[in-house]
Amino acid sequence: MMQFKALLIDAYRQLSAAKLFWVTVGISALVVVAFGSIGFNSEGISIGFGAYQIESEQLNAGSPWARGLYIGIFSNFLVKIWLAWIATVLALISTCSIFPEFVHSGSIELTISKPIGRFKLFISKYIVSLLFVVLQVAIFCFGIFLCVGLRIGEWNPLIFSAIPIVATFFSYLFAVCVLVGILTRSGITALLITGIFWMLLWSVQTSEVVLNRFVTRFNVDIERFDEGIITTTEELTTIRAKSETDFRIPKLEKRIETYKEDSTEAQESLAKLAPWHMPVELVLAALPKNAQTIGLLNRWLSDPDGFDIGAIMNGDMRAFEGEDVKEFDPTTRGARDREANRRIQEDYESRSLWYVLGTSLLFEGFVLGLASMYFSRKDF
Amino acid sequence: MAAIQLQGVEKVYRGKVHALRRVSIDVMDGEIFGLLGPNGAGKSTLVKIIMTVIHASNVSGTLLGKPIGDRKTLESIGYLPEHHRFPYYLTGKQVLDHYGALCKVGRKDRITRASSLLSRLGLSGWENKKVGTYSKGMLQRLGIAQALMNDPKLLILDEPTDGVDPVGRREIRDLLAELREEGRAVFLNSHLLSELEMVCDRVAIMVKGKVTMQGTIDSLTVDSRRYEITTLGSIPEWAIELADDVSENSFTLLGDDPSKIQPILDRLRSENIIIVSVQPVRENLEDLFMRAVDNTDAPGAIR
Repeated sequence: MMQFKALLIDAYRQLSAAKLFWVTVGISALVVVAFGSIGFNSEGISIGFGAYQIESEQLNAGSPWARGLYIGIFSNFLVKIWLAWIATVLALISTCSIFPEFVHSGSIELTISKPIGRFKLFISKYIVSLLFVVLQVAIFCFGIFLCVGLRIGEWNPLIFSAIPIVATFFSYLFAVCVLVGILTRSGITALLITGIFWMLLWSVQTSEVVLNRFVTRFNVDIERFDEGIITTTEELTTIRAKSETDFRIPKLEKRIETYKEDSTEAQESLAKLAPWHMPVELVLAALPKNAQTIGLLNRWLSDPDGFDIGAIMNGDMRAFEGEDVKEFDPTTRGARDREANRRIQEDYESRSLWYVLGTSLLFEGFVLGLASMYFSRKDF
Repeated sequence: MAAIQLQGVEKVYRGKVHALRRVSIDVMDGEIFGLLGPNGAGKSTLVKIIMTVIHASNVSGTLLGKPIGDRKTLESIGYLPEHHRFPYYLTGKQVLDHYGALCKVGRKDRITRASSLLSRLGLSGWENKKVGTYSKGMLQRLGIAQALMNDPKLLILDEPTDGVDPVGRREIRDLLAELREEGRAVFLNSHLLSELEMVCDRVAIMVKGKVTMQGTIDSLTVDSRRYEITTLGSIPEWAIELADDVSENSFTLLGDDPSKIQPILDRLRSENIIIVSVQPVRENLEDLFMRAVDNTDAPGAIR
């Protein structure tokens, strides 16, 4: 424990000596202040501590959706954009040289000649190196916690769940950075390779999202068209029972034909995409799922009143209405889009913690296992 | 008791580079042991194997009575690596505290020892300054202080006086002598032969990964002991025949028994030859070193 504490204190001293750490803290503080400048009054939303006023009948001090908007800005924008992108890039730049410096000749001999096992030393150093992100996010979350509490009166401790989530998200990338760092002893190379790995992850995840969207959409199409065929056939049968010369019969027959054609087309498209979907899903299952990891925060902070700013930003204003609306015609493009979006969201939200975190941490463990094995066997 | 007892240490790097070939060394408690050799001889490799920084291809022996590689034993060993680098963002005091804590030294002891060692090594007044501002000599002193933080029974120093000025070197020599008086074993790895000669009780000379000589300087130079007799004028024929070596007006007789040269001196006097000086001579460490290196050609590891 004494040795771990020594490494932890050393990590803190290393961070506080780095200018970029304080620059990031400064920017984080500005982001929190900007977030805190958003408030609600009886007429709507005030921005910039009252400098700008947006009048709204739905979003005001008394509105149940004020909470959804405020928390939604945090979980959809501040976490996803600031913490998961910008602050992560800054953190990688700040920490990419920790391990190359640690294993630098003249420095490593001093440490590994001490009575601490190499594996324990490696893991301890890895954990304390995550301090940069943990501290940054903790300071940030504390600011957000105060803002949310003071602005909407909700002292929500779940806001602090962003600390382990963002630290875990960062650790997927940092594990790769550490492996490359100790293999090449170069911070720049470690940063570049980690950047490439991050892009690869993004590509795989985006491919999976796009394929999943199409597959879900085609499934919805097939389902809805088939339902349309059944209901229209039933309607046609009823009309024919009354009169074989009803003017609606040709129109309904035409509609059934169209449904059949559209259903066939959707089935053909699905058949083309299906062989790609499964392999991409398998590849993603083996890789860290950083977008889905960050998405966990949305799940945990979701608005009980159904207000979903993410969905609203995606153009689904029904989320603003916060309730299920009976579709007039479930086969229309809009209705099928909405159903596909709902299923996709449900699919991602139903993915277990084991799938999101467990498989990602397995990958991280594998990378760290390689790095620690190299570190333990290496002659320095 | 042997602080270090190594037998048959071998290190073969990839590419079949033999850095060490069956090296055996004993370092006793309360002695200063010097390891010398040309660049690339394998000295630092041997030190690193002792400190578990490098894995030996083959090693048997003990360190403070425990098998080589035993982590717990490292709690009682102080080590100063060659070309060490301390984190630039730490002050001298923080460096000692950090490495002391890694050696499992308690907080109170760390504070007391850091203060005492900084003062003992002439770094008082610099304890709160970042090590980035230290001179090379100061960093070397701090390195020695770091190696002493755990109050070690065995101290292993790789080029401890590198970059230290003559006054500092003398202080370090005095410190090492004090440590020996306290019963600690000191293992020195250095290029500075005169330094080693002044403090070491025993030395080993390593060339091409092999220990070619090992023992006290006296025992290693016993064969080279001689008396050099200088006369005024030419040396008589009978003396030339007896001499092991002759120069213009001096001749040398091998051996370290003074009674054996008395008859020769008596004869010189009886022949009215003026004796200018009679000097007992022996090889110094540098001569010994050069002899060891010359016998094995060029330095470096063997493929």
